[in-house]
Amino acid sequence: MLIFDELKKNDPQLRLVAMVLAAGLCILLAGLWWVQVVSAHEYQSHLETQAYRTVRLPAIRGKILDREGRVLAENRPRYNLSLYLDDLHDEFQKEYNRLRPVKIATNSPPFWKLWLGSVLVKTNYAPMSKSEVAALTLQARYNVANNLVAQMSRTLQQPLVLDPKNFEHTYANSPYAPYSILSDMSGDQIARFEENFSVGSGVNLDLQPARVYPFGTTAAHLLGYLQRYDESIEGEDAVFNYRLPDYRGLVGIEGGFDAQLHGHAGTESMLINSRGYRQSENIIDPPQSGDNVVLTIDLDIQRAAENAIAAHQGADARAAAIVMDVHTGDVLAMVSSPAINPIYVSNNPAYLNDPKLQPQINRATYGNYAPGSIFKPIVGLAALENGLDPNEIYHVQSDPAEPWHGYIKVGTRTIKDTVPPGDYDFRRAIQQSSNSYFIFNGLRTGIEKIARLAEKFHFGERTGLPTRQESRGIFPTLNQVEDSSSWHAGDSANIFFGQGEMAVTPMQMAVAYSAIANGGKVLKPRLVERIEPQDPTSGEAATDFPSGVVRDEIGVSERSLKILYDAMLSETEDPKGSGYAAFHQAGSVLNIRVCGKTGTAQVENERGQKTGWNYWFASFAPFENPRYAVVVMVQSDVTIGSGGSVCAPIAHDIYEEILKKENAVAAKIVARN
Amino acid sequence: MVNPSINERGPKLDALQLVALALLMFIGAMFVYSATMANAPASLPWYDQSWVRQIIWYAIGLGAGTALCIVDYHILARWSFVAYWATIFFLVIVLVPHIGMTHGWGARRWIDLGPFQFQPSEFAKLSFILAAANFLSRPPDELKQAGIFWKGIGLMLLPFALILKEPDMGSALVLIPTGLVMMFVAGTPKKYLLTLVVGVGILGALVLADILFAPPALRIKMQDYQRQRLLVYFGANFADANATPEQKAEARRLQAKSSYQGKQSLISVGAGGFFGAGWRNGKQTSLQFMPPGAAHNDFIFSVIAEEEGFVGSVVVLTLYAVVLFTGLRIAGQARDRLGKLVAVGVVTLLFSHVFINIGMNIRIVPVTGIPLPLLSYGGSSVLCSLIALGLMQNVHIHRRGY
Repeated sequence: MLIFDELKKNDPQLRLVAMVLAAGLCILLAGLWWVQVVSAHEYQSHLETQAYRTVRLPAIRGKILDREGRVLAENRPRYNLSLYLDDLHDEFQKEYNRLRPVKIATNSPPFWKLWLGSVLVKTNYAPMSKSEVAALTLQARYNVANNLVAQMSRTLQQPLVLDPKNFEHTYANSPYAPYSILSDMSGDQIARFEENFSVGSGVNLDLQPARVYPFGTTAAHLLGYLQRYDESIEGEDAVFNYRLPDYRGLVGIEGGFDAQLHGHAGTESMLINSRGYRQSENIIDPPQSGDNVVLTIDLDIQRAAENAIAAHQGADARAAAIVMDVHTGDVLAMVSSPAINPIYVSNNPAYLNDPKLQPQINRATYGNYAPGSIFKPIVGLAALENGLDPNEIYHVQSDPAEPWHGYIKVGTRTIKDTVPPGDYDFRRAIQQSSNSYFIFNGLRTGIEKIARLAEKFHFGERTGLPTRQESRGIFPTLNQVEDSSSWHAGDSANIFFGQGEMAVTPMQMAVAYSAIANGGKVLKPRLVERIEPQDPTSGEAATDFPSGVVRDEIGVSERSLKILYDAMLSETEDPKGSGYAAFHQAGSVLNIRVCGKTGTAQVENERGQKTGWNYWFASFAPFENPRYAVVVMVQSDVTIGSGGSVCAPIAHDIYEEILKKENAVAAKIVARN
Repeated sequence: MVNPSINERGPKLDALQLVALALLMFIGAMFVYSATMANAPASLPWYDQSWVRQIIWYAIGLGAGTALCIVDYHILARWSFVAYWATIFFLVIVLVPHIGMTHGWGARRWIDLGPFQFQPSEFAKLSFILAAANFLSRPPDELKQAGIFWKGIGLMLLPFALILKEPDMGSALVLIPTGLVMMFVAGTPKKYLLTLVVGVGILGALVLADILFAPPALRIKMQDYQRQRLLVYFGANFADANATPEQKAEARRLQAKSSYQGKQSLISVGAGGFFGAGWRNGKQTSLQFMPPGAAHNDFIFSVIAEEEGFVGSVVVLTLYAVVLFTGLRIAGQARDRLGKLVAVGVVTLLFSHVFINIGMNIRIVPVTGIPLPLLSYGGSSVLCSLIALGLMQNVHIHRRGY
């Protein structure tokens, strides 16, 4: 090579110099190779760590709709006012320069500058120590931000304060992130802001979705509620420098279908400079909106049921109501009273934790209650299937202590009957709700047969709701009842009138009455009809949940069911029936025949003291071809009547709404044709 | 191989070296642009933009270099001691407050000349080369005298001490290899040189040991930042083992601050990878992780390395290799020992700058403020580099003719 000639020249000194030079250049080359080729990855990741910040962008949460597409939960835009610290940087500097102490000094320019006309007096910044500079910088920053906040406070006519500590902390840690000073502005405030501030003034609106429930407390227990939760969920990036607020559902539909509603959070990559200010943003993984959940609930029936409870028992009533389609298992309404605000934080904590009201409990699915007499139809079915002649008369004995009451002796124990003594056949026993009749015939049929039938109804098991708020209820197993050492006739007698070692949820009763009404199919209740993409044009397929999923068959003959239907119909149609009054009030034009059963269960604490009553009305209609099951339960500490007087009127109102809807649909069909 | 007959036709420049120089200047202008324009305010008039100024300095430097080519270096050498003492004078007065400017760095390196400032240390390197070449070009026999040897050492140590006093350790240090190599090439007896090298080595080791390990009372007086840079380079822990937590935190903060620039330049160079991010796409500069005052200056190489990658680094190294080895060829072909010594001096000076500057970008040497010839922004550096190269061409042009 031309330039390396010297290495060959016969000049030992120059040759040595050339060799040293070549060696030096080789060292640099090797060093560069090491840094730029071998370790390039390491330094590139260094660069990324110091120059990039990732921001978690929550997805837009899916809506919750009723079966007719009416919105029960959605998002509304919420405007927050934030300081953008990077836009304020110049202001910080200006304020700093303004605050800096100055001193007037005499200039001593070089002589040629004096000839050129330099002035002798100039202002100099007074020297400051490092800590003074730091304190002044901090002061300048706070002044600028605080002035801006004060200015906004005047414009928006709302007192706003800037906490110096919090402000400095944010500045030191994430100056690229918006610093929120006012959240959820009113429309009026937004308008005033837009009039007075422009982009780049260091303060701006940022938009975040807020969950909103247009019908307030309607179906609140079913919908569930959200909790602030910014953490990454499974399948997302785990590490972010900054997270925008996000929420997750805890219970109810919001909780049970959180995975679908929540969507997939995205990632924004933010390039920042050495001061930590934003330079550019780039969404590297856009958030994917959550799906909508379409419920089987009918908003009209739901609200009618809620209003009926409130109208008859007051807003603070501890009650539950369920309306179910007996063929599909669709839950058309599910009410738990007293209601809560689905925006959980808006509830008064004292109210939420009220030990008596317990508003957080979804009574429709999570409360365990003694069913009382509404369990008698199940006992009756078992007896009819095992040879009970419905026309056979059972004579209820008169209680010697209270002769106007009947009673029955089981072993050495005396069990009071609410009905007067006399002759009872199956129909009259259901209609009047005779304990003695069902204890006598239950014992005759045998507890095992009744337990076996109850097993088919799946008492003592969850119905399989996705809402994370379901209890299994209590029911003795076959093994328990067959163990004669621990199970006695008295225990069986209690079961036969729906007391003792058993408890149900209103949902279990709705499923059971639906099974009786539909000819024996125990269905899985369906709360969610389908899950569909939020954007219908996205092309993603909706997931439909099958209706009418049969969990079990009770295996009861048509004849027994018809006998039971007939007896239950008399409860509302025979003037002596306990539900008659509710369904025959003045002005009632209910054009539907309802098979019902009333119940009143005494609640005892562990020491056997009476602590309250559970009132029930369980029913299905229409009698000719049942389509709806309606179960109403009301709790009370004091006796306020009977299932017929407390719950049946609520059920009546619910049926009224159901009929109104049916007529409207029929009218529509007629109109269309 | 070069055919000597081509060169017999009279004065001619070394074309290969000139091509390499032209390319280096082109790269210099490009990357001063890249390093300064990313964050320059839009209102900055074109004549105030650094890359325009750099080009102006190239033009001035080329003019000065050309002027120096015209006059035979023998004539220049006669004036070398005048130049030498003139620069010594400037090195003294730059230390006087109000004449020497600090630029807020705590080091007095600049003299304000109205429209611009100049750095006497840069010119001192040049006048030292000329004076040393003149001094050492005496007959080799005379170099065997101890008196001559010590005078040569004195010639080197005077500007060294003054520049160190500014302080500008980098500029001072490059005088040592330059002087030593010139003495070696001039034919100074080996025993003197060995003594000198060993002496310098021992002294250096002692200074280093003092900086790294000595208790504060016994430390050599030097600027804090210089000590910190050395501590950083040798990976020493700033905090004393028995310091209070506050002191430790303070030491850690100081350590982070002192190591910041070196760390950032290493990230720049490394992040460039093989092909680089592309011209003007370097993140380290645009995001100001590389301090804006340094990127186009002493750390211009990190900008080139980040934006052009290993490929760019190799191109730059190759261009310097061309300049250096053509310089050595000029030295080999020089008419006399004076010419040879001037060329060798210039080559060694350039090499020292290149090695220390690129070396500090990749943490081979500690961070010292020393410019990369022709690439770093700065009038004095550009001017002196071009004048030095002009001197070398002068030697080439006048290699024959008497």
